[in-house]
Amino acid sequence: MAQSVVKEFTKGLWAEIPPFRLVLGLCPILAVTKSVENAIGMGLASAFVFVFSNLLVSMLRNIIPSKVRIAGYIIIIATFVTVVELVMQAYTYPLFLKLGIFIPLIVVNCIALGRAEAFACKNPPLASVADGLGMGVGYTLSLCVVGALRESLGNGTLFGHQVFGPDFQPFAFMLEAPGAFVCLGLVLCIMNLVGKK
Amino acid sequence: MGDYIVLAISCILINNILLAQFLGNCPFLGTSKKMETATGMAMAVVFVIVLAGIITWVTELYLLKPLDIEFLRTLSFILIVASLVQFVEMFLKKSIPALYTGLGIFLPLITTNCAVLGVCLINIKEEYSFLEMLVSSFSYSVGYGLALVLFAGIRERIILARVPKPLQDTSIGLVTAGMIAICFFAFKGMV
Amino acid sequence: MTEAILFMLGIGGVCGILLSFASKIFYVYEDPRVSLVESNMAGANCGGCGYAGCSAAAQAVVKGEALPSVCIVSGAEGAAKVAAVMGMDPGTAESRQAYSMCDGGVRAANKYHYLGVTSCGAMALVFGGQRDCHVGCLGLGDCVKACNFGALTMGKEGFPVVDENKCVGCGACNKACPKDIIEVKSMSDKLLKFNQINDPLAPCSQTCPAEIDIPQYISHIKNGDYLAAVQTIRMRNPLLLSCGRVCPHPCENDCRRGIADEPVSINQLKRFAADYEMNSGSRVPIKCAPDTGKKVAIIGGGPAGLSCAYFLRRVGHQVTIFESMPELGGMLRYGIPEYRLPKKVLEWEIEGITKLGIETHTNVRFGTDFGLGSLVAAGYDAVFIGIGAWKDHALGIPGDDLKGCFNGIKFLSTVSALVSSGISKGDTSIREKMKLGKRAAVIGGGNTAVDCARTMLRLGLEKVYMVYRRTRKEMPANEVEIVASEHEGIEFVFLAAPSRVVGNENGEVTHLEYLRMELGEPDASGRRRPVPVKGSETLLAVDTIVTAIGQAPDASFKEETSRRISELTLTRWSTIDNNPATLQSSIPYIFTAGDAATGPALVVDAIGGGRRAARSIDLFLKGKKVEPVKDSLQKKRIPESVFKTISGVQPIKRAVMPELPVNRRLDSFVEVDLVLPEDEALKEADRCLKCCRICYNPDKKSA
Repeated sequence: MAQSVVKEFTKGLWAEIPPFRLVLGLCPILAVTKSVENAIGMGLASAFVFVFSNLLVSMLRNIIPSKVRIAGYIIIIATFVTVVELVMQAYTYPLFLKLGIFIPLIVVNCIALGRAEAFACKNPPLASVADGLGMGVGYTLSLCVVGALRESLGNGTLFGHQVFGPDFQPFAFMLEAPGAFVCLGLVLCIMNLVGKK
Repeated sequence: MGDYIVLAISCILINNILLAQFLGNCPFLGTSKKMETATGMAMAVVFVIVLAGIITWVTELYLLKPLDIEFLRTLSFILIVASLVQFVEMFLKKSIPALYTGLGIFLPLITTNCAVLGVCLINIKEEYSFLEMLVSSFSYSVGYGLALVLFAGIRERIILARVPKPLQDTSIGLVTAGMIAICFFAFKGMV
Repeated sequence: MTEAILFMLGIGGVCGILLSFASKIFYVYEDPRVSLVESNMAGANCGGCGYAGCSAAAQAVVKGEALPSVCIVSGAEGAAKVAAVMGMDPGTAESRQAYSMCDGGVRAANKYHYLGVTSCGAMALVFGGQRDCHVGCLGLGDCVKACNFGALTMGKEGFPVVDENKCVGCGACNKACPKDIIEVKSMSDKLLKFNQINDPLAPCSQTCPAEIDIPQYISHIKNGDYLAAVQTIRMRNPLLLSCGRVCPHPCENDCRRGIADEPVSINQLKRFAADYEMNSGSRVPIKCAPDTGKKVAIIGGGPAGLSCAYFLRRVGHQVTIFESMPELGGMLRYGIPEYRLPKKVLEWEIEGITKLGIETHTNVRFGTDFGLGSLVAAGYDAVFIGIGAWKDHALGIPGDDLKGCFNGIKFLSTVSALVSSGISKGDTSIREKMKLGKRAAVIGGGNTAVDCARTMLRLGLEKVYMVYRRTRKEMPANEVEIVASEHEGIEFVFLAAPSRVVGNENGEVTHLEYLRMELGEPDASGRRRPVPVKGSETLLAVDTIVTAIGQAPDASFKEETSRRISELTLTRWSTIDNNPATLQSSIPYIFTAGDAATGPALVVDAIGGGRRAARSIDLFLKGKKVEPVKDSLQKKRIPESVFKTISGVQPIKRAVMPELPVNRRLDSFVEVDLVLPEDEALKEADRCLKCCRICYNPDKKSA
């Protein structure tokens, strides 16, 4: 039992890490990865939603009629998104402002709905939580990797601290929209290189 | 009048919802492999975003605001968008089958297209008037369609090139999207 | 707080009510499997599959355009469920594999390097992609790059080679190939594939009514892999031993080598491979697809019925053959004499087919012993009618009912039945039993007539005449047969139209009276019409007359008084009316092919027809629309493949068919034509120009 829970958790960290292996949830990874700080904030907020929506969907999996299940999942997810929104507004207001509409948009992040449908609605709560947590942590990691790349190359900083010394000429392209696409594309390419047997 | 044109240009080109605001990327990469699919999706997006923009704007102004329950915005908007999409799908299927075969199959894809919810939320956030809201919804969605169709055209040609194996598919797609984004980036100096 | 709750309830209620009403008002019928498939997909509408949302993907799956594993979110588990909904239970479903239709040869070394473009897709897009023939493989290897399982490699000849053990049938290669050269198919798909206008086909394969991949089996023979050749032939023709002996090989008329040299002796090579298998003492195993649980009744165990039964059985249906004669084989057994197709050979061949698990009932006649009603009641889902054309046309002249007059097919089948019941080995006892005389006239110029004449010589008759209205040039019988009968001493009376049979007081035949004819203007068939010469009555002293002037199907089963069968329409030649492209009759679950549908034709036509009917029946049983093959090549030629001249071919003599010497033939029914010896067969196989296997290269001298 414990083993399978660990397995559900770890698969989100590498074997099915979003959005590289499961090409889902691309928008936030492009939009909020200007700095590692944003990335972590977004990642944790998403992880929170994944975990709790998975938990609730899993608990209600025998109650929700299958015809309206998608609508049900959306409402569950939206509820937790609202919770995250309010919490962040109250405690991390600057981050809340930076992330902007991407917090409410976690609702339409395919990962949340995809995991609810593909996993949580068929598995017991514990495994579902592990799955959600794995996906959440994996997603946060991915966001951080892209965020770290973009922040360090584009601004020369990490968490606001200089990393390359004062002579470094920031590569501002990375911070702009096109840089986000290219950066993500190259990270995906590296993942393919490493991951393909 | 001039303001509306500036707003439209800004929404279509400068703040292109796909390439500058990063909304609606999953279906963007999914449906851009073929020109045919891309045009269908683009039309469906325009249709739904304008409709959803109107309804959510009305809901916000006449329900959420007076009742002082704006914190329910996310919840109610997603519900409205989802129902709307489903309703439109059923309506088209029965009443205008020709249009349904063109657009209808793309409609479900739009429920989880963050561009729709995104535009609705932007409309509220920017506190647009009704007319501004109409212009922005329409222009944003046209911008989305434009980017999608351009991208599909390029993607159909990518098969001409020898793409290294690890870069194939989504990876090269993202890099290409980056290139288009550079082009759109150039519009920044326009307004 | 209360407002919030009321608001959410309100908005939820409004949406719910609106949608449930809408779903009733705007209800449109949809294949129920679509929603079932969709319910097994993730429902995230993420578009990751490339389709516009989950329902579009589900529709594609139901239409068969997408694989059950299309959803990238629901993973393997979801794929298994979708497969279950679609009835493609992953455990028993027939596996699919990639295979390349074009496997190239010498010319493949000439790869294209237009402006550095090195992919087939680009080639096809930019330059239309032509190598030497416009249908063949481009050989730049897009499919190899597309395969995720390493199952495809570029063969040494520059064409893709599939590793069957690694291929999972995902179809990625097929999507990558711009020319549809590489296809992903199950065995059933391959068995029921028909020639299409865009296939890379050699002229012989286009002509063959059974659509055998002739260059492929010849190439197997050339490589010494005779059993592989047998398997290639069996993909299209289960009666290779019989065809190798009796087929008039229309393929050889179109052999490209025949333009500059003599055609390749295709049919003898087929016989060589078939005999090799038989003489090896063991059978090449034949695979059948998993059972589908559908039952088909085959009426008539002749070539058409056997072919149809064989293909239906191999694609997994349950088949039962009903035969009115005591044994299976139809015209092959009862219409073709022993000396052309020994019964032992035929038996071995038929046994191979029935051993696949086909139930057979003999001595049961359709319309008398059982009817359509009893088949439907017994739970058969479809019926194939291949009852052949067994009713001889009557001569219609005075005296044609005297003692000593016989009809062709009746005569041959009686002899065959007597021979196979082992009464004698061609000595005079059959002659006595059948009350034949000493001098006979056979009326007609077709194969049946020649068979009757040659059979009578072997029964010990002293003199056999063949009486034919036109000249030797117009005789429809196979040239080989005519030559053989000339060697055997049959006398031909050309330009003669029988007008009266003269008998004695006991009602026995004494003479045949005929009118001399002369050839007039050509008629619709292009043959010159014979015109009688007035007052030219001549008497021919014979005591036995066999009429073989054509046959028609025996439609007496229609007399069965049931409403069902009365809906089956016949043509005015009493053949069964069908759609020539699908072979479906006027009753949707009845299919028909062979002589019963076409009137007297070749064995190989019946075999091809049986397979075509099997394809339609398979579609019918699977609940699909019974549609003709798209861009079918049935009896048509690909215009580009018709060459007027051919250069670079050094003439090499065609292998001569070994025959039994005439003096050893006539006293027995021993087979006349012999099989090629191995070295001759190898030499003959080497004469093949490998059309469409290599892109024919005129500057290469070796050929």
